[in-house]
Amino acid sequence: MVLLRFTLLTLCMPASLLIAQPDSTVVEEEDYSMYDNLGFADAGAKRYCTSKVFDLSPQKLISIGYDFQGPYSLEEPDGSKSQFDFSHGERLQFNIPVLSRNDIIIQLNVNHAAQRYSGTADSASVLGRNLLERGLRTTGLGTTIFKPLNEKHFILFQGSADLSGDYALDQWQPLSFLRYSAAAIFGWKKHDRLMYGFGLSRTYRVGEMNYIPVFLYNYTAPNRKWGAEVLFPARAHYRRTYNSRNILLLGYELEGQSYRLNNSQTYQYRSNTLIPNASNVAVLNPDLRRGELRIRAMYEFSLKNFIWLSLQAGFRYNYSFQVDNVPAEFFRGFFGNQPYAMENVLGHTFYTMVSLNLVSP
Amino acid sequence: MKKLILPFLLALFALPFESFAQTEADRIVGVWEPSNGKARVKIEKIGTKYFGKIVWLKEPNDPETGKPKVDKNNPDESLRNVPLKGYRLLKDFSHKSGNEWDGGTIYDPENGSTYDCTITMKDANTLDIRGYIGISAFGRTDVWKRLAVGGAK
Repeated sequence: MVLLRFTLLTLCMPASLLIAQPDSTVVEEEDYSMYDNLGFADAGAKRYCTSKVFDLSPQKLISIGYDFQGPYSLEEPDGSKSQFDFSHGERLQFNIPVLSRNDIIIQLNVNHAAQRYSGTADSASVLGRNLLERGLRTTGLGTTIFKPLNEKHFILFQGSADLSGDYALDQWQPLSFLRYSAAAIFGWKKHDRLMYGFGLSRTYRVGEMNYIPVFLYNYTAPNRKWGAEVLFPARAHYRRTYNSRNILLLGYELEGQSYRLNNSQTYQYRSNTLIPNASNVAVLNPDLRRGELRIRAMYEFSLKNFIWLSLQAGFRYNYSFQVDNVPAEFFRGFFGNQPYAMENVLGHTFYTMVSLNLVSP
Repeated sequence: MKKLILPFLLALFALPFESFAQTEADRIVGVWEPSNGKARVKIEKIGTKYFGKIVWLKEPNDPETGKPKVDKNNPDESLRNVPLKGYRLLKDFSHKSGNEWDGGTIYDPENGSTYDCTITMKDANTLDIRGYIGISAFGRTDVWKRLAVGGAK
């Protein structure tokens, strides 16, 4: 009988231990000073800085968005006009961590953005009619690499290959039209509220390919109620943190791409007959250099746990909507004097964007 | 009587194996430092599961109030005055097999978020702590190093 009791006790013991498990948030009194003078058990261990500062707006792992721009006009070099009632399109982003460790972070980025136009265009307005019929689309694949060197220094690299044009999803452009962008930054992580860095980028954000210096600056004030998120000149925002799940961002973003337009016959006719100072230059390889400045307010908040909603509204200021004849990519830069094949005037307008996001831990 | 002897003998023979499994599982017990070096976490066994609490903070006081840091980002308002020192941020881990502990969660006091988490022991002094959302692909791994008295600073 004694044996029976012993056996039952033995069998029941794990269950009783499980039930007796304490609430895991309960704080127990302990002499914590004993942990002050510890060191690494492994002599080769090294500390690294992290890729974030406190309260930085959460990084989006998956983002499904919709962009809507209000009415604006387009005037082509011969004076023909198009009036767009609105333009709109979906914006998808996937930022998948491939390798996420404290000594290196590698992310794979996939993005897709479409813009469809609704309105009317003069019969002579070849660009306007093309936009109404075909719209614009960008699909890209890229990577972001954060490599901390130690507790204070890091290297940030971003690279992407984008296919931008007036193609349809069932009629892709040849991959020879891929456009490559990259940025490399050397940075300092001064403390948990400040990191900054300097670097160089090859970018299409102003429409055409350009090489420009970049400046990274992420800062959070000591009271942790506000901060700044800057990757100049691409974007800069003032951040107001209401709490860890509600933030407001005020600032701007430069957005642009170089779009391959495939309607070559029409553009050839137009170029030969109508463009001043461009006579006898057939636009056989039209590239639309679209660059715009989005001055905006963004309110981002957690709907539930890691599902965030981002509401964005602002003013879209057109910087460039010119067409180049590009048999091969060339560098004009800010000071180049190569003429455009078509110099268009695109109106400015208000815009809004909403996105549903799964954010990163 | 014979019927009672058999389970007793089985329990008796199982003891060494259980003891070995316990030793293997308990290798995770100790004091560890996350990669940012801002805290030290003591992992201990409570009942059959493993928990980790903050036992040291590089910056123990809130620079704004000058008082010991509290869990002010906790989504549960009633817990926002709980001191961070002593706070259990690793909860409910079980030894899965070999070098892996799973089934637990990790809490990030910086943003008040709790993530699913698995712990992998890479070597005796290194843990890979992977916090993730739903599926492991959407996550981040932090490498924690074991601390010891007289260890390298």
